[in-house]
Amino acid sequence: MNIRCAKPEDLMNMQHCNLLCLPENYQMKYYFYHGLSWPQLSYVAEDEKGNIVGYVLAKMEEDNEDLKHGHITSLAVKRSYRRLGLAQKLMDQASEAMVECFDAKYVSLHVRKSNRAALNLYKNALKFETVEIEPKYYADGEDAYSMRRDLSEFAKKLKARDAVRNEKIEE
Amino acid sequence: MPSSNPLPPKENALFKRILRCYEQKQYKNGLKFAKQILSNSKFTEHGETLAMKGLTLNCLGRKDEAYEYVRRGLRNDLRSHVCWHVYGLLQRSDKKYDEAIKCYRNALKWEKDNIQILRDLSLLQIQMRDLEGYRDTRYQLLMLRPTQRASWIGYAMSFHLLGDYKSALNILETFLDQQQKGNNYDYEHSELLLYQNMVIHESGDLKRALLHLEKREDQILDKLTLKEILGELNLDLEQYEKATKYYEQLMRRNPEKTTYYYKLIQARELVKSEDIVQFYLVLGDLYPKSNPPKRLPLNYAVGDQFKTLVDSYLRQGLRKGVPPLFVDLRSVYTDKSKVEIIEQLLLQYTDALKSIGKFAETEVNNGPKEPASALLWVYYFLAQHYDYLDQTEKALMYIDAALEHTPTLIELFVTKGRIYKHAGDPYEACKWLDEAQALDTADRYINSKCAKYMLRANKLKEAEEICSKFTREGVSAMENLNEMQCMWFQTECALAYQRLGKYGEALKKCHEVDRHFSEIIEDQFDFHTYCMRKMTLCSYVRLLRLEDVLRGHPFYFKAARCAIEVYLHLFDEPVKDENTEQELNIENLAPSELKKLRNKQRKARRKAEQESAQAAQAQVKRDQYHKAKQQGDVEADTPHLDELVPEKLAKAEDPLEQAIKFLQPLQNLAQNRIETHLMAFEIYFKKEKVLLMLQSLKRAHKLDAINPKLHSCLVRFHEFLTKNKATLDETITEVIESEKGVLFKNKDVVLLNREYLDTYGNSLEAVLEGAKMLYYLNSKLQSTALGLVTNIDNKYQDVNIKTCKNVLKSLKNGDFGPCDTEIEQFMTSCQVLFPHAIDFRSPSSIVHCESNHIPPDPDNYSSN
Repeated sequence: MNIRCAKPEDLMNMQHCNLLCLPENYQMKYYFYHGLSWPQLSYVAEDEKGNIVGYVLAKMEEDNEDLKHGHITSLAVKRSYRRLGLAQKLMDQASEAMVECFDAKYVSLHVRKSNRAALNLYKNALKFETVEIEPKYYADGEDAYSMRRDLSEFAKKLKARDAVRNEKIEE
Repeated sequence: MPSSNPLPPKENALFKRILRCYEQKQYKNGLKFAKQILSNSKFTEHGETLAMKGLTLNCLGRKDEAYEYVRRGLRNDLRSHVCWHVYGLLQRSDKKYDEAIKCYRNALKWEKDNIQILRDLSLLQIQMRDLEGYRDTRYQLLMLRPTQRASWIGYAMSFHLLGDYKSALNILETFLDQQQKGNNYDYEHSELLLYQNMVIHESGDLKRALLHLEKREDQILDKLTLKEILGELNLDLEQYEKATKYYEQLMRRNPEKTTYYYKLIQARELVKSEDIVQFYLVLGDLYPKSNPPKRLPLNYAVGDQFKTLVDSYLRQGLRKGVPPLFVDLRSVYTDKSKVEIIEQLLLQYTDALKSIGKFAETEVNNGPKEPASALLWVYYFLAQHYDYLDQTEKALMYIDAALEHTPTLIELFVTKGRIYKHAGDPYEACKWLDEAQALDTADRYINSKCAKYMLRANKLKEAEEICSKFTREGVSAMENLNEMQCMWFQTECALAYQRLGKYGEALKKCHEVDRHFSEIIEDQFDFHTYCMRKMTLCSYVRLLRLEDVLRGHPFYFKAARCAIEVYLHLFDEPVKDENTEQELNIENLAPSELKKLRNKQRKARRKAEQESAQAAQAQVKRDQYHKAKQQGDVEADTPHLDELVPEKLAKAEDPLEQAIKFLQPLQNLAQNRIETHLMAFEIYFKKEKVLLMLQSLKRAHKLDAINPKLHSCLVRFHEFLTKNKATLDETITEVIESEKGVLFKNKDVVLLNREYLDTYGNSLEAVLEGAKMLYYLNSKLQSTALGLVTNIDNKYQDVNIKTCKNVLKSLKNGDFGPCDTEIEQFMTSCQVLFPHAIDFRSPSSIVHCESNHIPPDPDNYSSN
């Protein structure tokens, strides 16, 4: 499995993966919008043949009232590729890019109240906290947990890592 | 504004209000103001007002009136840039971009420095890839607005896209030099520098590109891209030490990206497999949680070392219970010795886990026991392993053992279904997927797989029903999936319809997929302006390049192939009209008379269709008009596409022309697939276009000279030439003569076929084509030809479900003349070889899960 930043060429295959895995779907233009507004933030996991088996589609929330923060529009891993830790690895890469390129302070997302597996992943593995419940967030009337993960610790860790290891490469 | 008919101040003020209303989408008010001007007897024919009234009407969905008013306005004031601009906007909203460009150009003739028109023109030019026109327009925009950033970037990019890197770079440098140099670099500046670097890089001057980046490292926020480019440039410039350092840094950041490992191997100049394996082992210690350093060495290691490594890799996965373990390892199955090692190990695990709960019996005294689930995962792996090797019975045995171990694991049901699918029984396969789906109705992935299997079993209704569990309420699942551009589903539907002989429905689905591609190409329009503002220029250029080859996507290929096959079939066997009694007498007609009759029928059909289409359109217009009236100001800027009506599609007047429409993108974008050229040949063969046949064959020949399907095309082409020798144009004959050496090796057709049969006599796939041609060239050789393809014991190395299905299809299709007995015998022998495959059973013996649909009948496949 290979995890890398998504390119415009990947967006159609991400849409395909999304349609297979999740009930919330979007037209291609919305994927283009993500890929062309914040090209650094979306990541894909692909198998050896180059098929997309998982992805994270992410953006920045750019309203000024709030702290600068990223938002996960959609995250999916094909059921047949579970238990490889792909979701976590995808999320970590996207979060790092949010901090690095856009100085994000936290990252937010919504999750269906009934989706226990995802809730578990976000809470336990990725250290997201529930901020509030948004009633009837989804088109079918289901409530959403609005969650966020603070990225300041993450930012510090990255800085420390870069300070130690990012020795500038001289001629 | 040289309007030939300027308005006095009062009316002019009203006119300005029309413009404002248009911008603010207050269309009804706009119409009111237009009315005020036009009701003044002096201005009833005022061109610009009429044009604006038309444009406003267009936004209300009243298209025909819109065109009427805009054209009338223009006729009344041909020298008004407003009228021309408006006409252009109207055409643009109908996606008639070429026409719109012409209008804008006319508008600019009368008002050459109008910024808005120039901008609109430049957008259409880039959308249509009129790059030279784009450059010229961007130049004018730069001259008019030299202080705007977008003016500079757009002008520079026009040169970049034209491949004139030097000019592009000059403009970018000039622009960047004017920029104030602060220390606070922002994202947009960073993106611009990366774009500048992309242009340098593409110009081929790697040293300059490297220097450029090194100097600006601090100004670039996107460190990942920065380092990836630095690594690549150093690697390409053979500065391996520096490249190594960059790739090591990148690896620390994302040790899951396999490219970094490959590049690092390159940078360290490792070539021997042992060294590469060693390299991975060292990195494995450094990144214990990462997968690539454990998985990738399995591609290089051999023999005992492979065994040791794969042993520990397997154990880890089985212990933890990683469902994708098999698919992860599948790619090493190209190496037979590796397959054997894996099989040995798994059989060893099975025995040892059963007897002492460990992976090896020799380890009886050391370490703790493995978890009870380990055996389950071993069974699961073995089931997939044997399935992959086409050993159906063993695969079923292991999947049943796994199911007995853990009867509720969904993955097991999916795998069991897949085994049946591979064994040729889509109904049984579908049954197991349905069970899997019922065990977890909240998981869309399982739901999707289930729907796919249903479609493979031709159960369209059930598939849609299953899908509807995850589509929006209030609309049909089919509609919602179309709206969401769910191409896999639509293509599978098309294929199912094709199998069922519902050609109109199949075509509808193919056309829907085609329309998605058109829509996605349209999608780029807004990004031409948006990306200039956002400065995400590298991604924008990649988008443009992606859109240029969009129909090269495999999704398009699949749908297009289906459409072409269906159209070819419809050409041979047009859909019968229910109300033509003459059909009954067809058998008594001479071929020439039949042709005449068909033509007559076609003409009559066409006329009837035109009439009903006109009636339908009139109805649509009425409906639209009423809708618009009811809803008030609704924007209707999406052009109305013709509704896809299956009955109409199936009765296409010109099936071959329709097929060509699907073919053309493949010829441009999928020219590396031989199927493209073979399909092209079939179309042109039916159209009797000699040179185009020749062109298709030459292209196919270049890709794979010994392809079986190509062989039969060559033979048929050869025969065609012989039979039509007298009527062929002299120059054409000359061209063909000059190609005969390559294509036919200057041999006569009988010899050509015999040699092919001799040379590839151990391949059923090849012999099928050769034998078909044997009969084609001489029907007296029927029994020889039939013998070649129906006696399949021990003669061929590629006897499998797929090749045997093709033989059966060909037999039933009449490629070997009448041969009912042989068909029956062939099916019987195949049944022995492939007991699960339904294609070789007589239709009555097929029992499938609670469905009323007819099983797929190979007769219904198109002849291609």
